[in-house]
Amino acid sequence: MIPLAILASVVAVFLLFLVFQVWRHYFRPVEADAPRLIPVDLEAFENLIDPEEELFLKANLSPSEFCQVQRTRIHAAKVYVAALSENARLLVAVGQSARYHSDPEIAAAAEEIVHRAIRVKVWCLLALLRLEAGMLFPARLAPPSGIAHRYLLVTSMAASLPGRSAA
Amino acid sequence: MAFQHVIWLYLWVVPHVLLAAIAVLMFRKGLQKDFPIFFSYLFFEVLQFCLLFAVHSQQKTLMYVRVDMFAVAGSVALRFGILRELFESPLARSVPLRQAMARIMNWGTVVVAALASVFIGALYSSILNHRVFAGYVVIEALNTAQCGLLALLFLWHRFLGLRMSPFAFGIAAGMGLVAGFEPFLRALNDSLAVRYLRVPDLLQMAIYHVAVVVWLYFALAREKIRTDSKATLPDLREWAADLGRIIQP
Repeated sequence: MIPLAILASVVAVFLLFLVFQVWRHYFRPVEADAPRLIPVDLEAFENLIDPEEELFLKANLSPSEFCQVQRTRIHAAKVYVAALSENARLLVAVGQSARYHSDPEIAAAAEEIVHRAIRVKVWCLLALLRLEAGMLFPARLAPPSGIAHRYLLVTSMAASLPGRSAA
Repeated sequence: MAFQHVIWLYLWVVPHVLLAAIAVLMFRKGLQKDFPIFFSYLFFEVLQFCLLFAVHSQQKTLMYVRVDMFAVAGSVALRFGILRELFESPLARSVPLRQAMARIMNWGTVVVAALASVFIGALYSSILNHRVFAGYVVIEALNTAQCGLLALLFLWHRFLGLRMSPFAFGIAAGMGLVAGFEPFLRALNDSLAVRYLRVPDLLQMAIYHVAVVVWLYFALAREKIRTDSKATLPDLREWAADLGRIIQP
């Protein structure tokens, strides 16, 4: 009888989850205003995750001081990555909304943005996991580099969309 | 008793007729290209129904049990394939991304299946004998894993900010109904006295019927496509201004 009661509870939770998904998909009010991207200073972010900067700190600080500074840098990097991740999610939405545009060029560009923004989003997820691990072992795990470049590529592509659509 | 038999027959036959109708609709709309595994699943379900119906009418019990086992195994395997298809469907046009997603999906399946096995194993380990246990755990665990993967599917789309196409959403919702109730109904089947055994059977068939109606509804539904709406272009211009600020803060 106990397994039955537990399974019934699990089924109930799962069904509530399904109902919520249906509600989200069909009945959730659509935001009237366009979503705004979070401003991110990519140059500062690139400096923060620069491996050379890390080597410099390692050479000039005591191990305990380095760990402390590194944790602060990782914490700051997490804030940046979280902002990039949210912006990538918004860029997916931008791409999806222009995916079926009557101009095939815009539609193709939008499709590309969706794909690249998804890559950035997945990369942000992995980067956040690595940064969490880096908080535990600051001397061993450096913040991941290269994300800013990928992000820049996607945002510049998205920026080129309106120009084309306006033409 | 005759009325109950009519209901039972209705719940067995009609969903499979509707499945054939969905297959025709999918073919007419060209959806079989986007969802080939779901399309195969429809054919498999109709085929196994025809076989089971024929065997049942000849009253060959052992043969029926064998065909039924094959059908259950095939359905479970195909449903995993459908889940994979749903995970990959928004990325169908990008091969590298689809491959990357398939790798994530494989790992996700392994983790979810392991968790489901532990959960079901812990639930039943004290009440079932070892001979029955292994087979029971496998079926229950696979069904529970499918529920977990469906939940992951919705969360994954939300995380990425992707909107599911109506048909993909319908497939997922219908599968959620079928896979969600399955572990509970199997457990209910085991805990009831023999004379009430038809109750979970009828419930299962009714839920499957609802799932098929959901699939049919979403196969008929037209996708609302935003193309040149007035809101889109100004939105894009505004986003461009925001993006400019990001690139040159």
